[in-house]
Amino acid sequence: MTTDTRLRPLMLVEDSPNDVELTMAALERCRVANPVIVARDGVEALDYLIRGRDGPLPAVVLLDLKMPRVDGLEVLERLRAQPRTRRLPVVMLTSSREEQDLVRSYDLGVNAFVVKPVGSAEFHRAIRDLGVFWAILNEPPPGSTEGGPNGDLG
Amino acid sequence: MSDGVVEACDREPIHAPGSIQPHGHLLALEGPDLLLAHASAAAAGTVLPGNLADAFGQQLERGLLGELDGSWSERLRCLPEAGVVHLGQIRARSGSQFQALAHRSPDGLVILELEMIAAGLGQAAGGLVQQQLHPLLRQAFDRLASASTLEELAARGAEEVRRLSGFDRALIYCFDDDWNGTVIGEARNERLPAYLGLRFPASDIPAQARRLYEINRHRLIPDVDYVPVPVLSADGRGTGDPLDLGLAVLRSVSPVHREYMRNMGTPASMSVSLLRGGHLWGLISCHHAEPRWVPFAVREACDLVAQMLAVRAAAIEAAAYAADRNQLKSLERRLLVWMAEAEYFEDGLADHQAELCAFLGAAGAAVLSRRGCTLVGQTPPAAYVRRVAAWLGQEHGLDDVFATSRLSSALPDAASFADVASGLLAMPISARSSSFVVWFRPEIVQTVTWGGDPRKPLAAESGQLHPRRSFEVWKETVRGQSSPWSASQIEAARDLRAAIVQIVLTRVEERAALTGRMLRINKELTAFSYSVSHDLRAPFRHIVGYAELLKERASDHLDPKSQHYLRTIMEAGRHAGALVDALLHFAQTGRAQYAPTSIDMVTLVADARQMLEPDTADRRVEWRIGSLPHVTGDATMLRQLLLNLLSNAIKYTRGRDPAVIEVDCTVEDDEFVFVIRDNGAGFEMAYAPKLFGVFQRLHRAEEFEGIGIGLANVRRIAERHGGRTWAEGEQDRGASFFFTLPLEVVRLEAR
Repeated sequence: MTTDTRLRPLMLVEDSPNDVELTMAALERCRVANPVIVARDGVEALDYLIRGRDGPLPAVVLLDLKMPRVDGLEVLERLRAQPRTRRLPVVMLTSSREEQDLVRSYDLGVNAFVVKPVGSAEFHRAIRDLGVFWAILNEPPPGSTEGGPNGDLG
Repeated sequence: MSDGVVEACDREPIHAPGSIQPHGHLLALEGPDLLLAHASAAAAGTVLPGNLADAFGQQLERGLLGELDGSWSERLRCLPEAGVVHLGQIRARSGSQFQALAHRSPDGLVILELEMIAAGLGQAAGGLVQQQLHPLLRQAFDRLASASTLEELAARGAEEVRRLSGFDRALIYCFDDDWNGTVIGEARNERLPAYLGLRFPASDIPAQARRLYEINRHRLIPDVDYVPVPVLSADGRGTGDPLDLGLAVLRSVSPVHREYMRNMGTPASMSVSLLRGGHLWGLISCHHAEPRWVPFAVREACDLVAQMLAVRAAAIEAAAYAADRNQLKSLERRLLVWMAEAEYFEDGLADHQAELCAFLGAAGAAVLSRRGCTLVGQTPPAAYVRRVAAWLGQEHGLDDVFATSRLSSALPDAASFADVASGLLAMPISARSSSFVVWFRPEIVQTVTWGGDPRKPLAAESGQLHPRRSFEVWKETVRGQSSPWSASQIEAARDLRAAIVQIVLTRVEERAALTGRMLRINKELTAFSYSVSHDLRAPFRHIVGYAELLKERASDHLDPKSQHYLRTIMEAGRHAGALVDALLHFAQTGRAQYAPTSIDMVTLVADARQMLEPDTADRRVEWRIGSLPHVTGDATMLRQLLLNLLSNAIKYTRGRDPAVIEVDCTVEDDEFVFVIRDNGAGFEMAYAPKLFGVFQRLHRAEEFEGIGIGLANVRRIAERHGGRTWAEGEQDRGASFFFTLPLEVVRLEAR
């Protein structure tokens, strides 16, 4: 798919191990080669993203809504409050489309909101589309490729 | 008779006639020294010097030609503010005896009247001496106190007054609301005709006379053919500001009244006021066939009897009123119980026709509410009742009960229903919903016997007022009147109204509370089903996802049976997910806000068809769309409704070529009735009731796929708009699905 050496990682914030496994399987199936960073809940995600010492900012954060301790909305809010992560693309992945989650997410500045479909074919398609769009097609916000030990690769 | 004549009569200044009757003398004393200021002309030469100028401006003792002891002046100075005081007897130098009566006039002067005792006025002084009065009074009081009805009281009152006064005829005369008077009691000998039961027009006792009778409680005209004696003042003119003689016993009466008495054939008359609460309630009227004088003490005794009679009459009426109220109270209580038990209080009333009418002694009643007009018993037609209610609301407001026993005098066209609705008592219940309960009474043809033609009680002839000449009985047939509503009945209606208003208010509160609870429960249920579905989704996703992964890795190693099992797992998982999605969507429809706008159904149907294009791309579908109206509703919901119905039609006509799908609309009663008809697989009518249930299907999954929630959604959406749904079909011959939307925009709150 790409010979671009600039393979920015994707971040997956998901507490259900099943969903992690399924998503990873889907990404693999769609041959999305970007490395995937997995955070098992909001605390881990914020640790990585805000402190920013562990690596570069991901090309996109696939954020699950319902998580223990710190849920997706709170993560989003904190991300948007920090200059470093204000423009970081975030896609909210959720089990069902609930009106107030939608409104609140967009109010907080989410970039996309995707409901995880039940059928696996649809799920694969969704993941592939997301991966292709955010990791490859989309122009990242300026300045987001800096930072971290693996910093600017380009 | 012209109103001008009556008015002229009402304006006559009878309290200051400037003259007195000749059976006594009148002196008016002025200032703290009681100097003589006025005197009746005949006093000159009898009790005063022949030249009145010698007496004017002098103290009484100086001028009076008679014995007057010192205590008199004291008593004259200490007269009470109101009332006539009997000072005692005076013997004039001429030998004549007088009874001396004094009072303070409204002008502030002391009026001293000297009434001649038994001086040439026919019979001797009524024959009663002071000592005889007390036992007679005691007897009178006993008899009045033991009277139990108004008729008995009036009859006894007349007898006792006659016994005390010796007049040929004594009448008890009672005023009605229009100031006509009816004779309710009488005692007489044969010298004068009977007037019992006759009614006399209001003009017989004009307004200013009635006013005077309230402050001056008894009056006597011993001889109607008297020549009035002028009252002179110091300058001898007898004119100028006339004295206020309203309280004087010798006051000369109006010439009209004298003529009236002559026409009636009664030369002597005495009347005593019957007061209730300080206002004129009636009169005791005594007449004699020849001139007659009775002493002041007798008149005072009759006044005492009158007061006793008035008090007793009030007590009898109050007791009757209380007894009525008690009876009505028990009926009222039953009515209230029925009203409270019924879902709509109007039914509670209308279901108990006999009691509703009996409550106020009515022959018919009507209960009007937003839900309609219920007629009970004998009433005018509903349309008329509604008109009357509208008129009542406009003219009389909706705050109080309205009662009339002569409806046609208020509403001229009521005359056409006089037979059932001469009397009307209307009880407004609620301003907002213009609810009424109206009771009707039929006409009672009454004959009123008047003492003389009431149409001509007075006539103006040659610039003067003349009373009627004939007191012959004159019968009037009164039409368009019902028996009058009693005070206790009107009060009972007020009570009922207050109680209904209370019930309605309570109901409104209860309903609001109930609605509040239901809304909360609904919200909770919806939230519950939503969250459950939401939580179920993830596991189903996992089932499907892992089965898929397994299939990829292991299908080569699996035998066909195992592969089949695996496939089943995946399909079942997908189906479960689809069910959950459908349930989520359904719950969401329940929670979604209802946002009404004006919608063109033609456009909406076109929208739905376009969204379903892909499903009909490879088939021949004949669309027949009828003329569809504009409606008021939530566009999103109605589009979903149409989508469901149309997609069903498309789905179940899959085997048909061409598939015929009709969409049409008719107007019936107060609804739009929409129909979506197809020529597809149809269904058996026996299963029709199940169609709209949640997850109900009438076909097996392999025949036609589907969840079975589409129609449940359709019904829910229709109901939220205030409409209904139903279906007709025949196995293999197609189906018709109907839904209605109300014509009128009704406020659909919180559905």
